[in-house]
Amino acid sequence: MQTESTDMIAQVQRLLTGLAFVAAYILLDWASYLHPMYGLNITPWNPSPALGLVYWLRVGKRSALPWFVAILTGEVLVRGLPATLPLTLVSSLVLMVGYGFMAEAIRRRSDGDILHDRGHLLMWLVVVIVGTLITSAVYVSLLFLSHLIPVRDWTVAVLRFWVGDSVGIVVTMPFFWLLFDGRHRLRNLLRRRETLVYVLLAAFMLWVSFGFGAVGEFQYFYLLFLPIVWAAGRQGVLGAAIAAFTLQAGIIVAVQWQNMVAVTVFELQMLGAVLAFVGLFIGVVVDEKQRVSDELRQTLRLAAAGEMAAALAHELNQPLTALSAYGAACGQLLERGENGTRLKESIARMVAESNRAADVVRRLRDFFRTGATQLERIALGELIASSVSQFEHKARLQGVDIAVDPVPACTLLVDSLQLQVVLRNLLDNAMDAVQTQADGKRHVSVHTQVLATGKVCIRVRDSGPGLSLAAAAGLFEAFQSSKANGLGLGLVISRAIAEAHGGTLVAEPMTTGGLFLLTLPVEKVDIDAA
Amino acid sequence: MPHSGYTVFIVEDDASVRDALGLLLGLQGYPVAMFGNAESFLESLRSGWRGCALIDIRMPGMDGLTLQRKLKEIGCDIPVIVMTAHGDVESARHAFRSQAVDFLEKPLDHVRLIAAIEEAFSCHSQTLRSNESRVEFDTRLEQLTPREREVMDMVVKGFHNREIAKALFISPRTVEVHKARMMDKLDVATVADLVRLSLGQ
Repeated sequence: MQTESTDMIAQVQRLLTGLAFVAAYILLDWASYLHPMYGLNITPWNPSPALGLVYWLRVGKRSALPWFVAILTGEVLVRGLPATLPLTLVSSLVLMVGYGFMAEAIRRRSDGDILHDRGHLLMWLVVVIVGTLITSAVYVSLLFLSHLIPVRDWTVAVLRFWVGDSVGIVVTMPFFWLLFDGRHRLRNLLRRRETLVYVLLAAFMLWVSFGFGAVGEFQYFYLLFLPIVWAAGRQGVLGAAIAAFTLQAGIIVAVQWQNMVAVTVFELQMLGAVLAFVGLFIGVVVDEKQRVSDELRQTLRLAAAGEMAAALAHELNQPLTALSAYGAACGQLLERGENGTRLKESIARMVAESNRAADVVRRLRDFFRTGATQLERIALGELIASSVSQFEHKARLQGVDIAVDPVPACTLLVDSLQLQVVLRNLLDNAMDAVQTQADGKRHVSVHTQVLATGKVCIRVRDSGPGLSLAAAAGLFEAFQSSKANGLGLGLVISRAIAEAHGGTLVAEPMTTGGLFLLTLPVEKVDIDAA
Repeated sequence: MPHSGYTVFIVEDDASVRDALGLLLGLQGYPVAMFGNAESFLESLRSGWRGCALIDIRMPGMDGLTLQRKLKEIGCDIPVIVMTAHGDVESARHAFRSQAVDFLEKPLDHVRLIAAIEEAFSCHSQTLRSNESRVEFDTRLEQLTPREREVMDMVVKGFHNREIAKALFISPRTVEVHKARMMDKLDVATVADLVRLSLGQ
C-alpha cells in the first residue's frame, strides 16, 4: 500500500512537472515569437528548445511526449495553426526527433554536465550547431514541399531557422541548466554584490550601444564584451551564463524598443552568439584553472604534511620509547610487591611522557587542518647547530666539508620543527649538489648575518655546479626536480614555510656553486651575548 | 647473575628515555651508568670497565655512530648496542660494520633489548677471558729457553721430531726432551692445545 501511494505521488509529481514544462515552453515560444518569416516558427531567436534540452538532460526520454505536446500547442496557440493540422503534426514530429537526437547526444557525451570543461563545452557547441542545421534543413524542406515557403527563400529560411535555434540554445541553455542543476550555486552568486554590479554594467553598456550606436550599425557593440568577460573572469562559467542571459534579454528588449527590421535582428543574433560563446569559453577556462590550482594546493598541503610527519615521527618515538620502558618497569615493580613512591613516580612519568606524545600529535593534526605553526623562542645558533649536526655523519661519509660560520646571537620566534625541515632541505640539496665534484672540492658553508632591516639572512652555499638563471626561476615550481628520486616539492614547501614565518627563500643564480638565501625576521638580538 | 660486575652504559641525549631505560634495566638487576652525550662518556671511560654500551644514534654533538667508531679506534673492547628512532638501512650497515652487537629501533622491544645486553655481556666476557689466557700464555712463553722456543715454533708449524732434529742438528731424543719440558712449562697437555694458544698470540 505504502509503495503504491508513493508511486502515485511520484507519478503526479511527474505529471505536474510535465505540465509546468509545457506551460513554460509555450510562454517562452510566445515571448520570443518576433519577426517571424511567413507567420511560421522561423524567428531570429528561438530559446524554447534550450528549455527542452535541459528538461531532457534531467529526465531523459520521458520528456519526448511533453516536448512534442508543447511544440504542437505552440503552433496552435502562438501562431494560430499556419499550416494544416496533419502537416503541423508531421513538422512538429520532425522538430521533436531532431531535438531528441541532439539532447541524447549531449547527455551521452557529457554525463549531463555541459559546462564541466573545455571538451564538454566544445562538444556541446558542435552538437548544437550541427544538430540544429540538420533539423532546420529537414523542417524547412518539409514546409517548402508543402508550398508554405517560396522557392527562392529556401536558403534564407534554413539560415534563419538554424541561427535562431542555435543562438537561442547557446545563449540560454547554460542559464536554464543552472536554474535546474546548479540552483544552489546560482543563488549564492546572485546574492553577491559583484553580480549586481556587472548586471548593472551590462544594462549600461546595452543602453550605450543601442542608445547611441544603433544608427551606426552597432558600432559600440564591442562594449558588451566588458561585462561578460568580467563576469566570466571572476565567477567562471556560472557568471558567464548569467551575464550572457542578461545581455541576450537586454538585446531582445532593445530590438523591440527600437523596432528593428528582421535582417538587423538576425545580424545582431550572430553577434550575441559569439558574445555568449566567448564568455562561456573564458568561464570554463577560468573554472578549470581554479580547479587545477585547488588540487595543487591540496597536494602541496599533503606533501608538506608528509615532511612534517617524518620530522614528527622522530619526536614521537622518543616519548614512546620512554613510555614503554616505564610501563615495563612498573610491571616489574608490581611483581615485586612494591607500591610506594617508586611506583607512583614511574606512573607520574608515564603520564608526563604521554602528554609529550600528545603534544606532538596535536601539532601534526594542527598542521593537517590549518597548516598552523607552533611558535617558540629559539636561539638561531641552536637551530642551525641542530640542523647541521644531522648531516655530520653523512658529510664525513661522502667527503663533504661543512663549514658553519659563527652565528650572531639572536632569538627567533619560529616553529623550530618546521624550520628544521627547511634547513635540512637546503643542506640536503647542497650535499647532493656537490656530489659531482672531485674529492676535496666538496664544500658546503652556512653563513649567517643580521641585516639592518631587523631580519637575519642565512646563506647556504655549495661548491656544486651552480644554477642558471632559468633554473633558478623554475626551481620553486612544484614537481620540478633535477633529482631522480625527488618529487620536487622540497623547495616549494620550504618556501611556503619561510613565507609563513614572514621570511623569504630565494635561489641566487651563480656560475660557480649554488646559493640559497633564507631570510627570517628576528625576535631579539642578544647584544650582551654578542 | 652470570655476569656480575658488568654494567650497562646508556648514552642517550633524551633525559626521559635515559631515565626510563635506566629504571627498567636497574629493576632487571643490571648495574646502570648513564651519560647525556658521547663526549662525557668518552671522558669518563676507564680501561677496566666491563659490560656493554647502549648508544643512541642521533645526538647533538658527536652522534652515536661516531662514538662507536671512536671506541674502536682507542681500542676499547666494550661491545656496543645501537638504538635509533628511525632505522634506516645506511646507519644499520655502518653500525654492523663497526661490529655492533645489535641495532634496535625505538620504541624498543624489551625482550630484544635484554637479549642483546646478555649477548653483549657474554661477548665481552669471552673477549676478556681469551685476553686473560693469552696474557698467561705470554708470561709462560718467557720462561722457555731459546732452544725450547725453536722447538715449539717448529712443532706448531707441523714438523715431526725427526725433521726438527735434522733441522736443528740434534738427535731426535734431545728434541723429545726439549718438547716435553716446553709442554710442561707452558702447561699444555696436547700439541693441539699448544697450536690453539700460540695462534691466539
